[in-house]
Amino acid sequence: MPHDIPLKSATLTPREVPHTVSPGLWTLAWRRLKTDYVGTVSLAIVAIFVALMILSGFGLIASDWSKETGVNYAPPSFLGADYEGGTPAAPAEPAAAPPTASEYKSQIVDPIGDVIAQLKAGKAPSEVPAAPAEEEKSVDPLADIMAEIRGGKGAKKEATAPIEERKATLPLGGDKWGRDVLKKTIKGSETSIFVGIASAIVATFLGTAFGALAGYYGRWVDDVFNWFYSVFSSIPYLLLVLAVAAVLQQKGILTIILILGLTGWTGTFRLLRAEYLKHKAREYVQAADALGASNVRRMFMHIFPNVSHVVLVQMSILVVAFIKSEVILSFLGFGVPVDVVSWGSMLNEAQNELILGKWWQLAAAGTAMAILVTAFALFTDALRDALDPKLKGRLGS
Amino acid sequence: MYGGFRVVIAVLGLAAAASAAAADPSKVLRIAFPVQETGFDPVRVSDSYSNTVNEVIFDRLLTYDYLARPAKLVPLAAETMPEISDNGRTYLFKIRRGIYFTPDPAFKGQKRELTAEDFVYTFKRFADPKNRSPWAFMIEGKIEGLDEQIEAARKNGSFNYKATIPGMVALDKYTLRFKLKAPDYLFQYTVAHPPFGAMAREVVDAYGDDLQGHPIGSGPYILKEWKRGTKITLEANPDYRGFVWDFEPTADPWDQEVVKAMRGKMMPQIGRVEISIIEEDQSRWLAFNQKELDYLALPATFRPQVFGADNKINKQWTDQGVTLYRGIDPDIVYTFFNFRDPIVGGFAKEKIALRRAIIMGYNLDEEIRIIRKYQAVQAQMPIPVGVVGYDPNYRSINQYDPVLANKLLDYFGYKKGRDGYRTLPDGKPLVVHQATESAAINRDFNELWKKSMDAIGVRIVFDVSKFADNLKAAKACQLMMWGAAWTADYPDGDNFMQLLYGPNTGQSNNGCYESKSFDALYEKSRVMSPSPERNLLFLDMTRQMEVDGAWSLHVSRERNQLIRPWVKGYKKHPILSAEFEYMDVDTRGVSGL
Repeated sequence: MPHDIPLKSATLTPREVPHTVSPGLWTLAWRRLKTDYVGTVSLAIVAIFVALMILSGFGLIASDWSKETGVNYAPPSFLGADYEGGTPAAPAEPAAAPPTASEYKSQIVDPIGDVIAQLKAGKAPSEVPAAPAEEEKSVDPLADIMAEIRGGKGAKKEATAPIEERKATLPLGGDKWGRDVLKKTIKGSETSIFVGIASAIVATFLGTAFGALAGYYGRWVDDVFNWFYSVFSSIPYLLLVLAVAAVLQQKGILTIILILGLTGWTGTFRLLRAEYLKHKAREYVQAADALGASNVRRMFMHIFPNVSHVVLVQMSILVVAFIKSEVILSFLGFGVPVDVVSWGSMLNEAQNELILGKWWQLAAAGTAMAILVTAFALFTDALRDALDPKLKGRLGS
Repeated sequence: MYGGFRVVIAVLGLAAAASAAAADPSKVLRIAFPVQETGFDPVRVSDSYSNTVNEVIFDRLLTYDYLARPAKLVPLAAETMPEISDNGRTYLFKIRRGIYFTPDPAFKGQKRELTAEDFVYTFKRFADPKNRSPWAFMIEGKIEGLDEQIEAARKNGSFNYKATIPGMVALDKYTLRFKLKAPDYLFQYTVAHPPFGAMAREVVDAYGDDLQGHPIGSGPYILKEWKRGTKITLEANPDYRGFVWDFEPTADPWDQEVVKAMRGKMMPQIGRVEISIIEEDQSRWLAFNQKELDYLALPATFRPQVFGADNKINKQWTDQGVTLYRGIDPDIVYTFFNFRDPIVGGFAKEKIALRRAIIMGYNLDEEIRIIRKYQAVQAQMPIPVGVVGYDPNYRSINQYDPVLANKLLDYFGYKKGRDGYRTLPDGKPLVVHQATESAAINRDFNELWKKSMDAIGVRIVFDVSKFADNLKAAKACQLMMWGAAWTADYPDGDNFMQLLYGPNTGQSNNGCYESKSFDALYEKSRVMSPSPERNLLFLDMTRQMEVDGAWSLHVSRERNQLIRPWVKGYKKHPILSAEFEYMDVDTRGVSGL
């Protein structure tokens, strides 16, 4: 909607040139997006997920996800504790008889036996006298037996988290260690969304840079990039991913981001190359050339803003694809390290749980991912519609 | 005529007796291998599935009693147990008369008796470098005069089968003498090792490279049909001498049933054994469900479908008459520390304390309960149940005790930093690396290690690689920690203790543990015959390994075998794998097929 032109007087001083400020591409796009009901709702959902990611990233929520609060495979609360008999029962016969004093009397010298015996007897480490120097060798050969007598009988082990304190059910169920699936899902969203966005940025950056160079310079530069692109895209995607994973030889979030970023730039490259080919012959670029703008300036200051909407849409598409790819990578065992949880690692765990009838981890991670990916995809659609000026009839005026 | 009539009667009578003795061709047993076989030349194959088949085709000098535990040696092709003299250096075997190879064109129509010379020839084949036998290590360096021949063969490119080797001589057609370089009471286990069955030279020469498909032996079964990687069909050997099933039951109540079903029967009973190769757990499981398999080792993933909450077999299965054989496999699972590693290795007290704290900090109970779903028992010593040297009363001194582990680390100056992780006594960072593979089950173990180590403030990271690469690195003493498993080759503690023997570094001692006192104990045990004194040495070795913190000893794995009701006489043997040789199938019971 154009601004009203101020009609102050019939004669205009040169200084007061009537200024019709036509709204920019982004303002228009935002207005179009606002009218798109599906797009707005999707944006809200994506925003909620991103907010969750940020909150959990700063440790404000779900920071205690690794705490084992429930019993092993605690069912979701809405099913009740009795669901499917709960946890697998211990063997009817005692797994191991209580340690009986063996007939065996050891002649073996335990170099730290006396220390262990005193620690076992309940002394604090500071009360135990310092270890005798290596030469003295004044080691009590009966240390072990003493320790067994003193520590073994009656002395109950102080387990880290007694089973009694654990809950029988959890809001969305528990995993095999008794961790809360709800918290795992939130914590997992942090990893998955972060990986998705970060690797999409890497891939889009690469694709844009390569596409700009190839499209703008043309000739042999274009040939080189096209050749590289053709070779790259001729390799099956999963094989390529596994090859990069094998080369990087390290497990971690950064590795996944690199793997996905380094393999996912090809689509963006093709599109951006075409855009640059088209734009470099336009008048405004020739004008900039005439004004003496450098190549880099023309590429990134003049052409780039005019193709940036393509980049943005590409990035959104990649975010969706990479969230799914992270899941696949983690599922194949190339994913996140042991102390990190992601939706992919949760689904990986779920493959064995499903046979046992413990479906809640799969359901939680799967649902969360489905919602986010759908919302993000719809949002991307809406964004593309909003950014495409050729699409008429949407703009309410 | 009259006389002739009597002859006819006599012949008929004989025929009746023979058919009563021989296996019934209508008795068919159907089982599955989870892994593809490689071939049936026992000298050249190492996989246990091919050797299951070889076990019933070829006759060893000795074999194992079917029921006795720990597994006990009994004569097979030998008439009696060997005469051992010279402090365990000379072994004299008497070969049974009247053992014949199954007829084959290679024998040119002649009946071919098995003789002492066949064993000498077979042993030479194991030593022949051209055969690259995976079992050569069992005789190399042990038999007098054999190593010189191997050396010569390496030089000349061919093994001289005509040369006399003083260490293994056929004194006459039925007498075989082995002379060893050093006393070795375990040599009996070598000649009982399933691949060491007698082969006929004519057959080897006739089939050449095709030998893998033509196993001609003298045992109870013959290879009838072989579709590589798909199906193996065995049939009872019609010319087999047979034996009467007569094994003494042990205290195990299971044995009573076995004895009741089998005692006094002429063996083998099963006329045909059909072995299908089914690699996928789920496919095998479904085949058993469809009654297409007669018994099956239950894959752990399907355990909850068989066991109820009371940890007994479900009614759904008992209604079908399915029985469950539960046993502990003769294996151990452990995690070793590399003694040459600058962080966790060495014999300094603080290093010993670190290793033992790590061992005591590992939550073994959760491994058994959650990861293994109770299909395992805690291993208290490196020798598993069913193996000579196992002591049921022995308890490891390194039991799970995170409180003590923390105190121990505090005492030796592993101070906790602000992030909750400990540093080395000299203030340098403490990071423990554990090698692992990328399968889903490994992640479970990694998670357990991670949270166990977090609880004692030890930072642990996992280096993922392929199994073969890890094994290579381990043999070169380059891994800091790695999980391993070992299954008995022979039922003697020696087979397990050698994993810790210093000079075996680079071969099987992957922790590169070189303890002078352990090695001295081991060497002492090596020259002793099995006895309570030797068992005591095994306990000393165990304790030595524990006070040094060489291994985190985890479990022995449990086997759950599901058996259809018409299968009689099954009992898992710790060493032998072709139990069907001692079993029967009740054809009347086979219904619903």
